[in-house]
Amino acid sequence: MPRQTSSLTKKSILLLTFLMISAVTCLGQSTTGTVNMSATVSKFVEINSGGAVTLTGNSGGGVTTDGVANSPLAVSINLGELGPGNTNNFVTAQVPLKLRSNAPYVLSMTATVTNSGTTASRIGAADVGFGLGTVSRSGIGVNTTGADTNATSGDPTLAANGSVNATTGRFEFTGVRSNLNAFSSATTALSGPIIMNAVPRSNANGLTVPAFFAVKPQFFENGTTTISVTFTVTAP
Amino acid sequence: MRLRHFTFLLPTVLIFIAAAQTISAQSLDISSGGQPTITGAVNGSVTGSASVLNDLVVTVDFGEVSPLNTNTIVKVVVPIALRSNQPYQVSVSVSGLNNGNVQALQASDIGFGLQNIRKLGGAGQDCTQSTHIIRSPFANDPALNAAIGGNGRVTYASSLANISGSTIILSGPVLSKNNSIKRQQSDGYVFDAVFTLTPQFFSAGVSSATLVFSISSGPNVPC
Repeated sequence: MPRQTSSLTKKSILLLTFLMISAVTCLGQSTTGTVNMSATVSKFVEINSGGAVTLTGNSGGGVTTDGVANSPLAVSINLGELGPGNTNNFVTAQVPLKLRSNAPYVLSMTATVTNSGTTASRIGAADVGFGLGTVSRSGIGVNTTGADTNATSGDPTLAANGSVNATTGRFEFTGVRSNLNAFSSATTALSGPIIMNAVPRSNANGLTVPAFFAVKPQFFENGTTTISVTFTVTAP
Repeated sequence: MRLRHFTFLLPTVLIFIAAAQTISAQSLDISSGGQPTITGAVNGSVTGSASVLNDLVVTVDFGEVSPLNTNTIVKVVVPIALRSNQPYQVSVSVSGLNNGNVQALQASDIGFGLQNIRKLGGAGQDCTQSTHIIRSPFANDPALNAAIGGNGRVTYASSLANISGSTIILSGPVLSKNNSIKRQQSDGYVFDAVFTLTPQFFSAGVSSATLVFSISSGPNVPC
């Protein structure tokens, strides 16, 4: 009899516990709630115009489509007369570029030069000097940590970057990656660390660098020349 | 003998159930306050129950918040329902957002504010001697109070950086009119928790955080 009573008591306790739990559970109330959140930041790079083009040493010609700061880069330039009729030392176009990124970047360039001439004296890619000037990282929100690597030789009109070939008499841009012949396929011109700190896109600052294009007026074969250059920035 | 035990147990069980209900009737409750919403997102989403009878379990994906998202701001509104028959307080804690790189997403980059306290389903306790108080600095819509800081980064009047440990964000008098033991479609209060994130040049990566909202007995204010 005592054993039966004990068993019954245990069952009763179990039943009570179950009912208590059920009663509370049925209320469906809770004192806590959770909000889980996540966000993704992908690598981002962009290239825009850094401002107006500067054309110097030209005879005729002019800037057909100018650069507008912070707008997509789509510049068109008529270099004018490039024969001996132009007595200036160089015809130079300076095109400001603006780069922005939240990751290390690489700026590469591809150039094509076509000419209506048929002889070796026609203007070719090697006759178009190229280089990137001084890199500037300034303004609120621009990362100034780290160094950019300029793979070109800078201003192609510098004496160190070109001279008259003693044998042929033709002026040659001789510096490292100092003419468009070095960019017949996508080739790195500039690279560096993260450009922008955590600021919104409406912040207009960034990395600016001038791209120099230069042609030495010479006794080129007469004709017309078209130079097409495409800049591409990536975040490897 | 068995019948005698049964006749003893039945009233005992009923008493225990009644006691449990009475205890629970004094309880506090937090639940979904309705369908959460998201705006300005690219590849983002928010999931949660539209029913105020369900637990508060919300998943927010702000989506892309690099400059690839050209929207001005990503805004998420999470309605949260509260019920109690005693003075209450709501606290929140945050965990999981530990980016060592200061240029990566930080707690201060997620705006967080409370607004629009209203009766749940149009019914709730009307108290004349005390009000529901959103604790400083959270009484704002962070989307309307975003500004550019001296370093060019977006700042908010209040953000997740204002949460330290378990931080009280709201308190007030009794919320429910009826002494119901179950969640009701009405008879309580609901407020909007607003989260904002402005797309910026953050360092690349994926960030996540978990917020836990809790309701407990609050300062003993009269109704």
